[in-house]
Amino acid sequence: MSNHTILTSEEHRELRVSTTREAGAGDAVMSALVVPDEFRRVQNEYPILFRLNLERDRYTALALFGFENGENLFLDGDRWDARYRPLSIDIQPFLIGRPATEGGEAQVHVDLDSPRIATGGEGVRVFDEDGRPTPYLETIAEQLGALDAGWRGSDDFFAALTRYDLIEPLTIDVTLDSGSEHRLAGYHGIDEDRLQALDASELGDLHEAGHLMPIFMALASLSNLAKLIARKNAVVARG
Amino acid sequence: MPLDTWLNGRTGTVKQPMTRADNRPVSRIVIVGGGTAGWLAACRIAAAADPAAEHPVEVTLIESPDVATIGVGEGTWPTMRATLEKIGIAEAEFLLACDASFKQGSRFIGWATGAEGDAYLHPFTPPTDADPRALVSAWQSQAGGRSFAEAVTPQAGVTQRRLAPRQRSMPGYAGALNYGYHLDATKLAGLLARHATGRLGVRHLRDHMTEVERAEDGDVLAVHTRSHGPIDGDFFLDCTGHAALLVADVPWIDRSGTLFNDRALAVQVPVAPDSPIAAQTDATAHRAGWIWDIGLPTRRGVGCVYASSHMSDDEAAATLAGYLGTAEVPTARRLMFRSGHRERFWVGNCLAVGLSAGFLEPLEASAIVTVELSIDALLGDWPTRAALAIQAKRFNELFRYRWDRIVEFLKLHYALSRRQEPYWRDHRAAETMPDRLADLIALWTHRPPSSDDLPMVDEVFPAASYQYVLYGMTDAVQTAGQFRPEPAPNLAAVEQRARALFASLPTNRAYLDALRAAHGPAALEQQS
Repeated sequence: MSNHTILTSEEHRELRVSTTREAGAGDAVMSALVVPDEFRRVQNEYPILFRLNLERDRYTALALFGFENGENLFLDGDRWDARYRPLSIDIQPFLIGRPATEGGEAQVHVDLDSPRIATGGEGVRVFDEDGRPTPYLETIAEQLGALDAGWRGSDDFFAALTRYDLIEPLTIDVTLDSGSEHRLAGYHGIDEDRLQALDASELGDLHEAGHLMPIFMALASLSNLAKLIARKNAVVARG
Repeated sequence: MPLDTWLNGRTGTVKQPMTRADNRPVSRIVIVGGGTAGWLAACRIAAAADPAAEHPVEVTLIESPDVATIGVGEGTWPTMRATLEKIGIAEAEFLLACDASFKQGSRFIGWATGAEGDAYLHPFTPPTDADPRALVSAWQSQAGGRSFAEAVTPQAGVTQRRLAPRQRSMPGYAGALNYGYHLDATKLAGLLARHATGRLGVRHLRDHMTEVERAEDGDVLAVHTRSHGPIDGDFFLDCTGHAALLVADVPWIDRSGTLFNDRALAVQVPVAPDSPIAAQTDATAHRAGWIWDIGLPTRRGVGCVYASSHMSDDEAAATLAGYLGTAEVPTARRLMFRSGHRERFWVGNCLAVGLSAGFLEPLEASAIVTVELSIDALLGDWPTRAALAIQAKRFNELFRYRWDRIVEFLKLHYALSRRQEPYWRDHRAAETMPDRLADLIALWTHRPPSSDDLPMVDEVFPAASYQYVLYGMTDAVQTAGQFRPEPAPNLAAVEQRARALFASLPTNRAYLDALRAAHGPAALEQQS
């Protein structure tokens, strides 16, 4: 369920948002959307995988937190054990909204049915008592702007990958210490052989458009799979 | 060859005539008295003791069933957080069990002139880090008429908004700002007693002390009790309050010539369940003393402190009624005291902790912190039989220094006042002023208080405290400007941090209500 509405200082003067990281606040998810602009920070912590949408006409990038639905191996009680969280996680329960008119300015919307909407006077205020945005909302607005720009750049990125045929299907088989096996299917990743085979002018083209760095970051991020498996093993061992 | 070795070699047995010559570690601790001081000491010592030691420390506390505890001290210093953590009580458990709330400082209303709007805050968080001259100069030039406390710490705005200094998701005893507590002192003693006996293995004797048995050199060998007979010990703590049953012979140093408040009328006022809870102790001056106002979740503790030389009991009661806005004079508990302390606190193998060591008027809630400091010092230099006299001498020197500094700091609040009533004028009379304080106040008309004025590493009141009072009550000094300025503090960063804290901290009421909702009474009972 969601209940999106435009955020205003009149309507939401007393609104408080819970910034606690916990399953009850919607953080128990196995992945989250990420955009190429943040790959550099994402690859420090999480594997980055690509996925086709249902219409099979558009790729999106995801940061992987677990191996099954609802499993976030970075969540430890009320702590998210990583130095960076994807923008799409951090901005919740806010979203970008656009007015119906063409070319209208992006607006900040809020999902009032989100479990992050705080009750009982705890959580972080969005507006101060005079109706000015708090530093928290200022940060959120910056993050929403970065996510919006990143999302719009995302199509270009995947178009370039498709143009050079750099995407390949990826199936990940995981065998845990306990012997149990998991398979992650339906994902895509960078085709490393194709990447190695690109010539200088092709690489120059990708570099000029700003795609080369995120390509290598996505590639490097897969080394985080081993760390994610280690987290899973630790959880299983704890029982 | 030393004599005793020679004797041992010759006869094989030498009866040790005095405890001092005994090499066994000091391990049997007997605490006489079961108020806040006694139970705090018992918990701290027992929690610090290693049960696997060859001679484990054993703590016995004798509490007289005949003597009621005083239990008025309802404000603590930030030190109480470390104390409770060392004792091993979780913060949530403490807050709930003692009806506690957060104290982030004291607000002094009417102390400078008594005029409308005369008020200042002395917050627990020190000013943003800077050289004192640069700080004062930045406040004067950048703060646009804001008070010193508002300019130099976000805590001023946080207390105005009655916000808590922490969020519930933070680890216990951690805060975004420095804080202590307001609490129900009777419930604190109860919590500490349950913790000491139930979890820390303190032996609790409910018995009346009848006699002190001493060795020839004056050391205490045992305290005799009505039903349990003599209780032997290696080291004794006198926590018997004003009675000072073990150290009554030690001369008393009277401080009432400097601090002449000697009475208080205390009442408790219930509050509505959803009323806001103040974030600081209010101290409102009146013509012959001041009124404390301490907000707990369930009640306010309000008390009129006065000097019997300048105000009658009836006048005090009327003053209290006026403050409370009630027509009738409320039924109040009357307390009588005399500011002063012992000449020595550690005598032989006995240490006075709490009111037996001394008492000063409650303006800075110094009673409990003095207990904490005494136990810290005792544990930091645990008594050793062979060095007992040296340890006692050092302890006594340290605490004479500390009592002197507390007396001076309390007096500062009166010395800087410009009120004209006889009580206030008398408080400024030169003969009532400690010499050292008079000198410092003269210096501080030319430059700000600095750590050079307070040379100990662990001062009870740091220079920051003096700055808050000085610039709360008087105009700032103009610094001469003959020297290159030190780097200016970033007061804009203070403001920015304040904005972030105003947004992220819950009110005291919201915090404590949510805490109570999260830990129902059932959850609490399970823990204890």
